[in-house]
Amino acid sequence: MTFKWIEKPSTRRNFLKGAGGVSAAVLTGFPMPALSQSSEVTIISDENNADALQILRRIAADFEKQSGTKVVINNMDHEAHKTAIRNYLVAGAPDVCFWFSGNRMRAFVNRGLFDDISDLFEKEKYKDVLGATTGAVTVDGKQYGLPTGGTMWGMFYRKDVFAEHGLTVPATWDEFLAYGQKSKAAGLIPVSIGTKELWPAAGWFDQMNLRINGLDKHFALMNGKMAYTDPALKPVFDHWEELIRQGFFTPDQTSFGWQEAGAFLAQKKAGMMNLGAFVKATFPEQDLEQLTFAPFPKIDAALDRYEEFSVNSVHIPANAKNKAGAREFLAFFYQPENFGPYLEPGGNVPPRNDLPASKDPLVNAAVESLKTVAGTSQYYDRDTDPDMAQAGLVGFQEFMAKPERRDAILQRLEGTRRRIFKI
Amino acid sequence: MFPRPIPETAIWQRRLYVVLVVGILIVWLAPLFAIILTSFRSTQDVMGGNLWGWPTQFGLVDNYTAVFTQTPMARYFLNSLTITIPSVIGVLILSTLAGFVLARYRFRGNMLVFALFVGGNFLPHQIMMIPVRDLMVRLNLYDTMSALIIFHIAFQTGFATLFMRNFIAALPGELFQAARAEGATPFQTLVHVVVPLVRPALAALAILLFTFIWNDYFWAVVLTISDTVKPVTAGLANLRGEWISAWNLISAGTIVVALPPVAMFFLMQKHFITGLTMGAVKG
Amino acid sequence: MTKLWRRHRWWLTPTLLILPAAVLFSVVILASAVESLWISLHEWDGFSPMVWIGLGNYRELFADPQFYVSLKNNLIWLVMFMLAPPLGLAIALLVSQKIRGMRLLKSLFFIPLVLASVAVGVVFTWVYTPEFGLLALIFRTFGATAPAVLSDENFVTFAVVIAALWPQIAFCMVLYLAGLNNLSEDLIGAGRVDGARGWNMLRHIVLPQLTQVTFIAIAVTVVGALRSFDMVSVMTSGGPFGSSEVLAYQMFEQSIFSYRFGYGAAIASVLFVIMAVFIAWYLTRMIRADERGG
Repeated sequence: MTFKWIEKPSTRRNFLKGAGGVSAAVLTGFPMPALSQSSEVTIISDENNADALQILRRIAADFEKQSGTKVVINNMDHEAHKTAIRNYLVAGAPDVCFWFSGNRMRAFVNRGLFDDISDLFEKEKYKDVLGATTGAVTVDGKQYGLPTGGTMWGMFYRKDVFAEHGLTVPATWDEFLAYGQKSKAAGLIPVSIGTKELWPAAGWFDQMNLRINGLDKHFALMNGKMAYTDPALKPVFDHWEELIRQGFFTPDQTSFGWQEAGAFLAQKKAGMMNLGAFVKATFPEQDLEQLTFAPFPKIDAALDRYEEFSVNSVHIPANAKNKAGAREFLAFFYQPENFGPYLEPGGNVPPRNDLPASKDPLVNAAVESLKTVAGTSQYYDRDTDPDMAQAGLVGFQEFMAKPERRDAILQRLEGTRRRIFKI
Repeated sequence: MFPRPIPETAIWQRRLYVVLVVGILIVWLAPLFAIILTSFRSTQDVMGGNLWGWPTQFGLVDNYTAVFTQTPMARYFLNSLTITIPSVIGVLILSTLAGFVLARYRFRGNMLVFALFVGGNFLPHQIMMIPVRDLMVRLNLYDTMSALIIFHIAFQTGFATLFMRNFIAALPGELFQAARAEGATPFQTLVHVVVPLVRPALAALAILLFTFIWNDYFWAVVLTISDTVKPVTAGLANLRGEWISAWNLISAGTIVVALPPVAMFFLMQKHFITGLTMGAVKG
Repeated sequence: MTKLWRRHRWWLTPTLLILPAAVLFSVVILASAVESLWISLHEWDGFSPMVWIGLGNYRELFADPQFYVSLKNNLIWLVMFMLAPPLGLAIALLVSQKIRGMRLLKSLFFIPLVLASVAVGVVFTWVYTPEFGLLALIFRTFGATAPAVLSDENFVTFAVVIAALWPQIAFCMVLYLAGLNNLSEDLIGAGRVDGARGWNMLRHIVLPQLTQVTFIAIAVTVVGALRSFDMVSVMTSGGPFGSSEVLAYQMFEQSIFSYRFGYGAAIASVLFVIMAVFIAWYLTRMIRADERGG
């Protein structure tokens, strides 16, 4: 009897029927009267920064006052949100949700789960203030989200530590190697890294690949058009292995998360660290002025400068109940006087070019630095297929701990690439 | 070595024995003490890497206040109670009924039904994520506490039925013969004979279920999105996400979350052991 | 109507009594389990239409080196978890003296059992943290450097299992305490008269009376070992490089992070088959015990 239910597997149609049923029921006023239903906007955020969350709540309260629309913010743990979004986008979507632009957004756009908000772009003339960043939220000429903060990746260090040990910022590979020797002699770990959460190792791969092979080849790899066993990648891993063999990186790095690795930098135990400006969360207030960053050293001097710049974003799910209200809220949220303060605590680079200069020198430095960049990638796990990304992140983590397994790892990744991209 | 009781007259031996047990207990609970001590530390010290030395300042009040102000912990706490208590009661009722039937009625398929209860309970439950989510969407219950309550009742009923069946099967058969001789209906037998006798088992089961359900995080992530329905474990995860290296805050959060089950355990400790004694011993 | 009820009451009542539990359990748990078996025969990302690929997922799984790593780790879990019943018994024996204050000590030994596994995972991750952790501190007092156990592919699973053993031993201890309460004083007295003591007493007089408890303790422990997920997820996320993954975690990782619900379901099905062997053993034991007049 009860087993009958199983004979109808969840096909896409059933899914949509299920989801449609819910929103239909809600739209017809169950369980709340239709009127109050339409004047509420629910938001799911995955804000890890307590100050930014506070500002988001304040913006929501201001919006409530101004428009009379009630705003409910549900903030979630960043990692749990990655699981939750797969469920709520089909099962019971909020009106606004935070996510990542680029390929990660595209995965949901392709499955019809994010709403096309080109109309909002048109109405608010966002393309004028966003410029090239519009591309990060565009699929087939339509916009599916608003870019929020951008993270510019680079080599972070403490000015006082560099001064104390007479270290200089390495601009080339040779200088980088020399820096490593000198910092080791000074009793520092040359480069702090924690790969417990996997992704920090991928940043190293990305930036070395950008410095050695350039943006086009990097994207060929990200899009599955280049083999992981391609000879072009050999110098990337050779350079990387050189650093590993010379003891550049934190020992037992797989035991540490990025925050712990950041603390090594803050506590003057390590010289540099490759991350975004959010590393400042691991610094005590009074040490923040010491923190600064430099671009990843040049390897092939002939290549243009490409950098890693990842952009987060905010979206309206296709199954949202109050899409009109969501658009109103986003427009309000995106006004410079609201959006600017929201970006401030995280040290994110503003995507809008009409925001006043940040109070954070790191942000302004990143903005300046970006002006001289020839092109950007987002980050390994945002640029390639998620399935590929998972395999790649594990592979890079393993390479950093066991460089002698390079061939086996690359063979494995190549196998995964062939399966995913159906080669 | 079954321990021979230390005679009451050997006072020094008895005292020494207690010291020995306390010593072992300290080693046994060392990780817990570490957590408690850390929850007193200030953020300054933790960020500076001073985790074991004498604290330069104490953060006890700050840490515990932060647990309740950084996340809507009070709200989550209430939600957890609203989810856990009905779930526990629901499981107790269903499993008593089912356990009674399985223990006292011989019918074809009895073992099969029982095997399904046991087998289902042994499954790694993460795999049911998508089907359960779809079911809740179809029932219009996604993102409600009812979804969590229904799932917990269904899932825990497997384990609880195993427990209750064994317990009721171990009750002396004469009781049931006597009840039948007096013309009691099965329902009357259940209410007047079984229920009074299984009370200790129910108490023991209630504690175990309370801990299992209270501590769930996975299903809260799968089935709920609103702060108004999420349980306390979500608050702990929020703290973890925000402050991965702020061990002092995470420690404080861990202790706050652990308090209700620990309290419940101490309150009902006596019933717990008696209940298990009667339920578990007969396999 | 009443007549009908009277005539059929003998079977209607039990049916009605068991129905709520059976229906709920079938609809939510069993149906979901069967549906995931069905999913395992498809390629599916969780959103798009499912594509039937028959046994394709299973073929790939049996050629996947990670699968064997997970399987091996599940085996390590299973073997090491078998320490829980004897250690639980040891602690139970330790605290079963009738001395004032022992009762309080007894309940303090339970505490790990009621902690959320997330909490236990957090506690132990921190114990193991190189440089700052409790382990590092202990090693340092002896002038040694603690190994970074969670970074070493050979140690990591053992380190995680030790953390998981903590609550598991407490669980077994509770079961044995209950069992010890029920020992027959007569048999023990008789044993003493016969001069049985120490190990002989335990082996020949006490343990035989604890067979049923031991049976339950082993069952709970086996299930705990096979279903292990939380600890791996909290402490290592399967790392370093997948070396601490177990089947339940690999299934979750494949489904959630790699969007491969079909493949994940196939892993779950294999895990279920392993469980089924154990369930079959468990049930035959139980039926036999029942027949002996239990």
